[in-house]
Amino acid sequence: MLKKSNKYLIVAILIGMVFHGTSIFFTLETTYDALIHLFFADHYANNWFEPWNYKWYTGFSIMSYPPLVHQAIAFLSMLGGMKFGLFCVALISILLFITGVYRFSLLITANKTVAGYASILAVFSSSFVETLHLFGQLPSIIGISILMHALPEIYSWLKTGRYYHLLSSLSLIAVTVCSHHVTSFFGMVFFIFPLIGMTIMDTSKDKVGSIKLVTFKIFFNTFLSLFKRILGFGLLFVTVILGSILPYWINSKNNPITQVPIPHGSRDNFLEITSSGLVFFLIPWGILLILLPYLFYRYYSKRYLFFGLSFTLLTILGTGGTTPIPKFILGDTAFNILTLDRFTLWASIMALPLFGEFAYRFVEGDLKTLMQSTFGAIYHRAIGGILAGLFIFMTIFSMSLGYFRPSQPQKIKMLPIVNFLNQDQHDQWRYLTLGFGDQMAWLSAQTNALTVDGNYHSARRLPELTTRAIERLENSKFKGVEGIGSLQQFLTVPKKYNLKYIFSNDKFYDPILYFCGWQRLRQLENGVQVWERLNIPPISSILPKEEVAKWQKILWGIVPFLMIIIAFVFNVQLPWLRALKGKAKGAPEYLSFKSNHASFPKGILRLSHIWSISLALTVFYGLYAFYLQNDSQRTPENVVLAYYDAIDVKAFEKAYRLIDPNRELSIAQYMLEISVTDGLLSSYAKLEDIKTSIAKKNDSVATAKVTTQWITPLEKIKKIDYKSLLKHKGKWYVQPEALDTDLPPDQLYSDNSTTYYNQGRRRITSEQTLHEDVLKQPVLEILSSKLVKYDNHYAIVGEIQNIDNAPADVVLKGTLYNDNDTKLASYDAKYHMKHKLMPKEVSSFRIDFEGIAWSQTKDSIPKTFNPDEFTPVSFNEQPTKFNLQAAGNVSVFDLYKKVTLSAIDIGRTAIKGTLYNSGIEEVTIPQILITYYDENKTMLWVDHLFLKEGIRQQRKQYFKYDLLENNAIRIINSDMSNCFVNGLPNKDIANKIVHNRIENHTNSQLQKIEHSNYSFIKIEINNYIGNPN
Amino acid sequence: MAIKHTYLSLLILLFLSSTTIVDTPNEIKCITTQKTFEAGEFIELLFSTTQNTFPGLYCSHTYGSTIITPIFKNNVLYYEIPSNIGNKAGIIHWKLLESPLYGQFTITPKTNVTTLETYIGPPSIAAGGSDFSMMVVIPTDALDNPLKDGTQVNIKHQFLSSEENNEILTEHLISYKNIYSKKETGRILITSECLNEHSKEYDINVLAAIPTNFSISAKRHHVYADGNQVTTFVTSILKDEFDNVVNDGTFVDFFITNEVGNILKTNGSTIKGIATATMIHPDHKSRWTIKAFVNGMAESNVITLDYTQVITDFDVAVSKDNNMLIIGPLQSFMKQMIPDGLQVTLSIYKENIHIYTSTKGSRLGFAHFNLKDLALKKGNYNFNIKTAGLEKTLQFTKL
Repeated sequence: MLKKSNKYLIVAILIGMVFHGTSIFFTLETTYDALIHLFFADHYANNWFEPWNYKWYTGFSIMSYPPLVHQAIAFLSMLGGMKFGLFCVALISILLFITGVYRFSLLITANKTVAGYASILAVFSSSFVETLHLFGQLPSIIGISILMHALPEIYSWLKTGRYYHLLSSLSLIAVTVCSHHVTSFFGMVFFIFPLIGMTIMDTSKDKVGSIKLVTFKIFFNTFLSLFKRILGFGLLFVTVILGSILPYWINSKNNPITQVPIPHGSRDNFLEITSSGLVFFLIPWGILLILLPYLFYRYYSKRYLFFGLSFTLLTILGTGGTTPIPKFILGDTAFNILTLDRFTLWASIMALPLFGEFAYRFVEGDLKTLMQSTFGAIYHRAIGGILAGLFIFMTIFSMSLGYFRPSQPQKIKMLPIVNFLNQDQHDQWRYLTLGFGDQMAWLSAQTNALTVDGNYHSARRLPELTTRAIERLENSKFKGVEGIGSLQQFLTVPKKYNLKYIFSNDKFYDPILYFCGWQRLRQLENGVQVWERLNIPPISSILPKEEVAKWQKILWGIVPFLMIIIAFVFNVQLPWLRALKGKAKGAPEYLSFKSNHASFPKGILRLSHIWSISLALTVFYGLYAFYLQNDSQRTPENVVLAYYDAIDVKAFEKAYRLIDPNRELSIAQYMLEISVTDGLLSSYAKLEDIKTSIAKKNDSVATAKVTTQWITPLEKIKKIDYKSLLKHKGKWYVQPEALDTDLPPDQLYSDNSTTYYNQGRRRITSEQTLHEDVLKQPVLEILSSKLVKYDNHYAIVGEIQNIDNAPADVVLKGTLYNDNDTKLASYDAKYHMKHKLMPKEVSSFRIDFEGIAWSQTKDSIPKTFNPDEFTPVSFNEQPTKFNLQAAGNVSVFDLYKKVTLSAIDIGRTAIKGTLYNSGIEEVTIPQILITYYDENKTMLWVDHLFLKEGIRQQRKQYFKYDLLENNAIRIINSDMSNCFVNGLPNKDIANKIVHNRIENHTNSQLQKIEHSNYSFIKIEINNYIGNPN
Repeated sequence: MAIKHTYLSLLILLFLSSTTIVDTPNEIKCITTQKTFEAGEFIELLFSTTQNTFPGLYCSHTYGSTIITPIFKNNVLYYEIPSNIGNKAGIIHWKLLESPLYGQFTITPKTNVTTLETYIGPPSIAAGGSDFSMMVVIPTDALDNPLKDGTQVNIKHQFLSSEENNEILTEHLISYKNIYSKKETGRILITSECLNEHSKEYDINVLAAIPTNFSISAKRHHVYADGNQVTTFVTSILKDEFDNVVNDGTFVDFFITNEVGNILKTNGSTIKGIATATMIHPDHKSRWTIKAFVNGMAESNVITLDYTQVITDFDVAVSKDNNMLIIGPLQSFMKQMIPDGLQVTLSIYKENIHIYTSTKGSRLGFAHFNLKDLALKKGNYNFNIKTAGLEKTLQFTKL
């Protein structure tokens, strides 16, 4: 194509391939998207023509994402594995991007040197670096690169009307749309429309001889003369977009995205949420921000006018929620679905040709002359140094952002998990990962087992997921109470999804797993903890799927590669053959529209100076404000904030430095004190919000009222602390908290207890478990149960006893019916019961019916999730009957029962008491179950309290429980005829074992309380042990 | 198609004529007279024919239906029944196509046993004689056919010193026996035998039935309410009504009613029938009434324990610089300093309005409250201090 090799382009390609080609091996796998693409690729590698994927979200159609990049990875993986494919495609994308920028720049500037400059700058452009190395958006990069390759061809077609160019451009557009659909239709608006404008402008110029003479009339006439070509191209363009990924459009029409939008950083107000501003505005723009005056000046010159408009629009749209304009332009729906960072990416790419032009003029053109003549050579060099320095800084900064602020957990070795799933038919159940980040996609690619979760949120199908703004269950802790709320619905009713195994890479989730009735199985060699739930049936061997027509499957499987071949023939092979035959091809038309770089306008230079100085001032002011806010000991508020932040991220050394030095507390002592505190708050809480008000203050002493909100896996905790603060040598310090001084009387304790072991399959065989190795399900007895209404919600409360001789894991499932025996809701017992019962042990229980429990999920889910809020039911569907299914399975874990109630003080509104841990395990999270009775000792309600602190061995812990308010509880039905144990009628099976039960045996031991609605309570204790010995 | 038409017309013909087969002109005759075969045997149906047609033989049995093509030799059609049909015991219906002939024959299982398919459950039952486990034995031949009804199966089981043999005849292809528990706990070993074929060993665990009433006792190092030492409660050996020690792990609840009628709770699980529970001593004079329960099944006697007050009085002082409130010495029954960790609660009132409460554990017999940290405003305050069931108030003036 080129008569003479462009040395700048060659340099750009060489540097680009070496720079990006080596670094992708360290960055790509930790990006947000790369592993998701790998998962899709794995699907194609195994079933090229089958669009249904069972592995995620209980099945979804991969026709919901354009296939080309995934198919390319899958194709290459046949040579050297999935990751080989991924890296090859990444290398190709780098090559395509650099050459694409070159061709686009050549089209815009008509100057090979300038285009060469632009291609070199493109290699290091921070937006490209970010998109590739931080986001891993390969389809997006390939899409925009191919689009840039297509632009010169479109121009040539419009200008010359040669059909060759039309076909060539359409073939490239087809490849674009097959790799990224969004790029192609927004590319049409933002790149192709202005290009058409520019072409008309150029043609008009040809007519009248000078761009200055082009008037609107001439422009309009030219437009009419070119109208046929434009229209022809437009129609074919639309046909290509629709045709090449037709199954995608059909799928989108059939499965419209009806989910709650997921918040995305690019829609934030960048001034408020500065981290989003950094990632989605500052980094992609980078040094281009300084050049904005020049970019606007150039793009608003007559020839580029339409690019100028497009560039302005992209710039504005890229600002996300900072101004209301993007929302106004896009409309609510599009604003909430699109991620707006792509606009900034496109704007920065659109700026590249002019960036190249600027660099050219600065380094060897008229700008150099102007600056040297105005300010002198030294100044010019200094500015050059500063600009180059900033440019390099931005590149290194974006490149290493993933290193300093890891977006992903540490790389997890997947092999032990893959092996676990393959062993012993564990893949017959669904699994869930917790705390894996985007690596869950890589696990899914490697195993045949299915998960309820997934990593492509547009394809979510379960209402539990689509009605909440969480993208994955996997990282639900980052989504606050709503995320945890969604997760716990899956954990409470796992049977519905055949969910049996959970791989937890984050101990944060451990308490919620325990209290939802899960048990620890073992820790794999990569440190991942496996949790299991008993009484879950395996997945049925035939799963539902949405079938699509055969022609769609064939189209989907063949068209993308066919398009590549066609594009290859038009854009590489034919020019190559022509070159071999020695037929010289005329220079492309756009090369004749060179810009005049003779004299750089002084006004722009001045404006750029003013702009740069104001930009620099803003940056310095921002840094200063940041310093003031973060100087941890300047004000009492700052020291409190810094102290809590340090505690939250477990930076105890930093916290120690904020402690009053007069206290003579050594760091060793402080660390020791920290190490013995365990519990919900100190081990499993994430600080969400902190408000400090300084209550009393003189110049050296202050008391701060610190109101903190903590997200824990179990509940949201609001805590009010009073902190004493002291000023010492101009710095504020925090007073340390007093330590519990309690000393147990003995040094060495001994304890006897019965331990259990269930060996499962006695013979080592891959066959199904022999019937004689299956333990009998422990017999349970439902002692009482009733359907009650409390405030606006319904619950089943009661008591259950393990009447067998083996410890039991108890699963309780309640179902509500109306008068017509129509099933209304079904849910399992969650926190309000002891899930593990020793022989003859009793537990009170309460089954709540939450969100997804109701048959009509859509109407009933509240807008905001609150763990203590429940869904009211519509009035004509009152639950009146209930069915209760209890299932026992022998459990050998979590049988620690040694926490006792050692003191209690009954108040009118609250109960204060002391728990004493009489055993030899440290209890991390004690839970108290409080059962309420009326004056006839009839059970009415069950409530719970999680203690925020743990209890060490042989020590006490104090608690305060606020009694329920005066809300009347109405018993709706206490008919126990529909209670079943292990599938058998409760009454029959109980009578067989305990034929002469002493009814209400321990009623004499209920605690009397002073309350208008309740007369007695019963207190039971359940314990979660974080680190069993 | 021709066959289909013939077949259909034949069916219509059959349907229309209610006459017997004998009346129709008959060139094909079944010459096999044997009506029962043993499974696995070579089975062939022979038909003599005068015609030159070779109709298929339609066979129907429990595994499904099939059509067998004949071999024609010397005017005889040989239909060989394939082994997948011939190996399975049961009745086989046949029908010769293009002819009105039909009939049936029986395949009987072999007469010798190869395997005893055995099921037993539940694997554990309760002692006392009313609970039972069922043993099901299905003697089968080499081809997996259950032996014919009436085959004798011996189910033998051993429990303690007794060994029993039961002779059972199979009925509806299976034989079963309900094995009832005795009064004692232990393990029942079971085996079965049929025609000299012996099964492997199976077992049933007989576990104790529900517990009966028991007694409890308490043990402590001293009688003082020091809030530090531990009292241990022990049950007698828990047994069921047949004098069997209950299973290990049986959960026993201990309810402690204190002097004001509040209920404290501890628990224990049995080992060799004995449940042990512990409770920390109260920190003030108390009378505990203790009763243990196995909920709904058994309960203990009631025992009473008295705890003597150890701290009779304590001092409250403010340090010279007014910065520290010092409580103590807190002395125990021999004037020793109370063990660390006794709870001391300070409540501050200003003009009878509660403004602050803090709780601290004692250390070396003293509890310290830092008043400087509280940054109290100038004025008069009432300090209320509670510990070990005692209460004191102090006037404090902040200058």
